[in-house]
Amino acid sequence: MESVLVAQALNALFAVAVLALVALGLAVVFGLLGVLNLAHGEVVMIGAYCAYVAQTNGWPFITALPLAIAVCGVLGFVVERWLVSPLYNRPFDTLVLTWGLSLLIRKCAETMFGLGYKNITEPVSGTLDVLGATYPRYRLLLIAVSVGVLVVLVLWYARSRTGTRIKAMVDNPELARALGIRVSRFASATFVAGTCLAGLAGVLIAPLVPVQPFMGLDHILMSFFVLVVGGLGSVAGLLTGAAVIGGTNSVVSAISDSTGGYFCVLVLAILFLWQRPSGIHARR
Amino acid sequence: MSQPFIPARRRILSAAAGSAVLGVGLPTFAQAKEFKVGFFIALSGPAALFGPTQRACADLAAEKINKAGGITGRQVKLLFTDAGGPPAETAKSAVRLMLEDKVDLLIGSHDSATREANIATIKSKVPYIYSPVYEGGECSANVYCLGETPPQQAQPAIEFFAKEKKAKTFYLIGDDYVWPRKSNEQVKKYVAQYGGKVIGEEYVPFGAPNKFEEAVTRVKAAKPDAVVSTLVGADNVNFNRTFAGFGLDKSIARMALLLEENTLMGIGPENSGNLYSCMGYFANNTADAPKKFKAEYMARYGDKAPQLSTIGADCYAALNLAKALFEKAGAASSAKLMAASEGLAFDAPSGRVTMRGRQVDKDMYLATCNGTNFEVIKTIKGVHSGTACKA
Repeated sequence: MESVLVAQALNALFAVAVLALVALGLAVVFGLLGVLNLAHGEVVMIGAYCAYVAQTNGWPFITALPLAIAVCGVLGFVVERWLVSPLYNRPFDTLVLTWGLSLLIRKCAETMFGLGYKNITEPVSGTLDVLGATYPRYRLLLIAVSVGVLVVLVLWYARSRTGTRIKAMVDNPELARALGIRVSRFASATFVAGTCLAGLAGVLIAPLVPVQPFMGLDHILMSFFVLVVGGLGSVAGLLTGAAVIGGTNSVVSAISDSTGGYFCVLVLAILFLWQRPSGIHARR
Repeated sequence: MSQPFIPARRRILSAAAGSAVLGVGLPTFAQAKEFKVGFFIALSGPAALFGPTQRACADLAAEKINKAGGITGRQVKLLFTDAGGPPAETAKSAVRLMLEDKVDLLIGSHDSATREANIATIKSKVPYIYSPVYEGGECSANVYCLGETPPQQAQPAIEFFAKEKKAKTFYLIGDDYVWPRKSNEQVKKYVAQYGGKVIGEEYVPFGAPNKFEEAVTRVKAAKPDAVVSTLVGADNVNFNRTFAGFGLDKSIARMALLLEENTLMGIGPENSGNLYSCMGYFANNTADAPKKFKAEYMARYGDKAPQLSTIGADCYAALNLAKALFEKAGAASSAKLMAASEGLAFDAPSGRVTMRGRQVDKDMYLATCNGTNFEVIKTIKGVHSGTACKA
């Protein structure tokens, strides 16, 4: 019985960690630039296909990470430079733009790889005993990686000069520009960072899910809920949102069933949008 | 069409006069009028994966039929229509196909929820062939079903699990809609019949971003001898990957009621141990008829051929059934077609099959998964669908 409890607790931890990892790229772009990137899920999908490309070429799994950074970074740069940057402060237009982009990316993936499911072999297989519960090694690794990425990002954002400049840009772009901060360059870098993080998340989850052109749709929805609940513009908000959404889904799914879990997630998202649209950690 | 307010009689007169004036040697009436088939396949949504093979198989059948003179001498024209959206949307398309395109026949390869919406809309005015795997029991007038039913799939599989794998306890998991729930009612009956016990049954929301860690942990705690999955598509892939990831594949046997080549490819070779499927068609079946069908299919589409599976094979069979049905009935009335369907033999990719009670009795193949291939371990001849509708 204890082993079941431990396993379900690990499941909840895993759900929160993966959700935070997947939502991170969206949080960066939405929180700092005010662009709700509806193609976020598709960038995650591109990351997953990078893992597939690495596998079919016989390269080790780890090589998919730099590949995803390269592909998603270039994509992010191009999209920000020529499509998104003329539309800053026009939230509805960016919404339509990124939605169209998501359709385009999905169709490109369909043309290149077909609609069939791809299976990616777990780079670390087998299970490990954790306090009496046998848990898959790769999922444990993923929890660790997710925590690691978040910690590094929090420290860097809090302590580095670039972090401070980005904060200045977000708070008051005009003033930041007057102080000599090249706002457009930082905006570009922030957007690229967001797409790279989405691509990395895609590589990391690829061995766990069916990889197919439509997979992004599953992730954009949950990621959006995370930001609705947690609030924009802070890592604390991201973590709170992931904990509330991922945790609730996992715990309720464990106690009752998946329908209950999904139901609670939807109710939470609706309650927040209705009563507290800026989330738990509102920026202002 | 451009002059909707001229009474029909005068329109016919003017058309006749027009052709007389022009003196064009019109082809005979029978050849001029195409046999229009509204063909529902998944062009969007989660089942869109099957779209290319559904279309390729249907086109192949139509080309062959047209080369042999069409259906009742009329060339077949397929109007592919998306059934990947919500059932109500597909039903609206059915109305359009009937009223605007005036189709002679509707064929559907989609889920059961959509079938129910379509049948309620068509109201037996146009014959409707429903081709994929389903839960059985569909007896609405002028509806003809081709797919594998639980008596054909689950009965042999549960018997195999109970007798040869000595399975006593079963855990059922499925997507939450009509096919899994109705199929599982019958699965439970077979489990009881072979002296087993169902110790768990759960459903996940259909079309939601599901994850399966919690369900798999629950299955593990319940310690069943076998799991029966009525999950479909990505959910089925996801569940089976998670199941094997947690290391349960070694101790617990699994069977899935909709496990075909595409799904198995997604599950992957590391996760398909101890996994079974029971279907009327597998692409790598080496018997004469399926081998010949596959060769024709590959010759037509070459290297880019979409992956063959039972879903596509049934689309091919549906058009052969249509030809046999209309030519035997001699008229398109519901009563004549239904009467003609009884005992009607026609060619399916798996070989010659017979329609009884507007369902198909067929040979079933129980297969184990070896990597991403199916290996047939048992062939069960002429299994009855378990449903006998009145002609």
